[in-house]
Amino acid sequence: MLDLLLVEVWRSLLALRRYPLELLGAVVTLSLIFYLLFLGARFLAGPGVEFGGRLEAVLVGYLLWTFTLSAYNGLSFGLMEEAQTGTLEQVFLTPYGPVRLYLVRDLASLFTQGLLVFLIALVLMALTGARLSFTPQVLLPFLAVLLGGYGLGFAVGSLALLYKRIGQLLGLSQFLLLFLLQAPGEGLFRLLPLAPGAALARRMLAEGAPLDPATLFLSFLNGLAYLTVGLFLFRRAVRLAKGRGLLHGY
Amino acid sequence: MERPFLEAQGLHKRFGTLEAVRGVSLALRPGEVLAFLGKNGAGKTTTVKMLSGLLLPDRGEVRLLGKDPFRDPWALKHLGAVLEGNRNTYWRLTALENLVYFGVARGLRLAAARKRALALLEEYGLLEKAHTEVRHLSRGMQQKLALLQALVHDPEVLLLDEPTLGLDVETSLQMRDKIRALARGGKAILLTTHQLEVAEALAHRVAIVHRGEVVLEESKEALLARFAGEHYVLELEAPPPPGVLARLRALGVEGEGPFLVRGDGEALWRVLEALKPLPLKKVAKAEADLLEVFLKVVGRA
Repeated sequence: MLDLLLVEVWRSLLALRRYPLELLGAVVTLSLIFYLLFLGARFLAGPGVEFGGRLEAVLVGYLLWTFTLSAYNGLSFGLMEEAQTGTLEQVFLTPYGPVRLYLVRDLASLFTQGLLVFLIALVLMALTGARLSFTPQVLLPFLAVLLGGYGLGFAVGSLALLYKRIGQLLGLSQFLLLFLLQAPGEGLFRLLPLAPGAALARRMLAEGAPLDPATLFLSFLNGLAYLTVGLFLFRRAVRLAKGRGLLHGY
Repeated sequence: MERPFLEAQGLHKRFGTLEAVRGVSLALRPGEVLAFLGKNGAGKTTTVKMLSGLLLPDRGEVRLLGKDPFRDPWALKHLGAVLEGNRNTYWRLTALENLVYFGVARGLRLAAARKRALALLEEYGLLEKAHTEVRHLSRGMQQKLALLQALVHDPEVLLLDEPTLGLDVETSLQMRDKIRALARGGKAILLTTHQLEVAEALAHRVAIVHRGEVVLEESKEALLARFAGEHYVLELEAPPPPGVLARLRALGVEGEGPFLVRGDGEALWRVLEALKPLPLKKVAKAEADLLEVFLKVVGRA
């Protein structure tokens, strides 16, 4: 299993080295989107307006959104691409089974996703003048959010496996993620996927609040629950796809 | 007799109203090449996908060295496959990277996969292309690499779906040599093809598949004897009476109409003599695809 993880990390690093423009394109696009929104908001609010701590909060939300977004749609885009290029069936011939293999792929993609978010953070901090009080402890709620993100990714990956062309759905559901990540981490909102961990990370990074162990525990519980649901749905979809002969192509 | 590496019993698969595979059973022993011969759409690929655990059969079961690949995914460690219509490898990775990746994905340790990958690339004359991305390789090299990808974890069973399709003559001959060598080395190989000459060149046994069923399974020698020499297809205006039919059978004529007459012109005249004075509809030399002729004669086309 460790060898599988190593070879998946190696594969994603090879793609990064061989096609660096893809990463660069993503950094530029995602930074530009935020910066244009930022400029738009400044224009509406008038010159001389100060965002204060709110800018940091919004920026953290945005960075978390980009991180979660790649966790969420990485599996689906991968499945769609492999179905189209004709390697999906070979991947399914692994004795590890597709669920374990894609879990390992998710884990392996953490590095490249982390790099993407780090670069966007640097660019946006330079452009907007925002300063994030980054403590290493904030990685924990980030991780809890990512678990939920991967769970949702497996759920939507089930649809990608069965229906292949779900690009539109992925595009639309990005906004749902935005809502989940900006939702308050209190009351019934705590039951929503991603919400409690995202709220905790936001408070820590933007307000400098300390890490609250109880909220962190709840965030992990939430993330694990959605990951379990996602894996269950994906397992069902694999079975269904094998029954209906949907692994081959579009 | 050695225990089969691969066994399938009564495989059935239906897609909507189409019965793609009907009751296919087979056994594949070490060192044996079984050719699945049939026209496009006969059910060959569907069968291969069920054998490789990629498609769940509606009924029937598959055993890979005694293990069920649908219940125990580690059974797939014993299997390598080249799937038709697939690229089988990552085009953005080099030949070596592909083999290392698939080696590990099939259960090898990283170092072992690299060692095996280099050995295979050398053995198959691809070592100088080890660091070339697959998309820059020729079609023949890509197909060779697809075979190596199936071999990297040294499986006992190989499923090769139309492995020589679209290759130039030279590469096709090379592939045939390699497949023969693999069988001599003890691998059990199932080969699907729609070309009689491919089955003739490689197989020990041939199963003719038509409309999802195995309509004939016999040794290559027996099959070739069936197709050897000249053939004539003969049709009558009306079915022959039982007495005439018995005479035709005695002369080795097959089919229920159209009939297949094997042999030279003299044999044909003997058959025509036996049919006299029944009205003939058509007598023609079977020069087209012999598989097609065979299927017509057994009433399956």
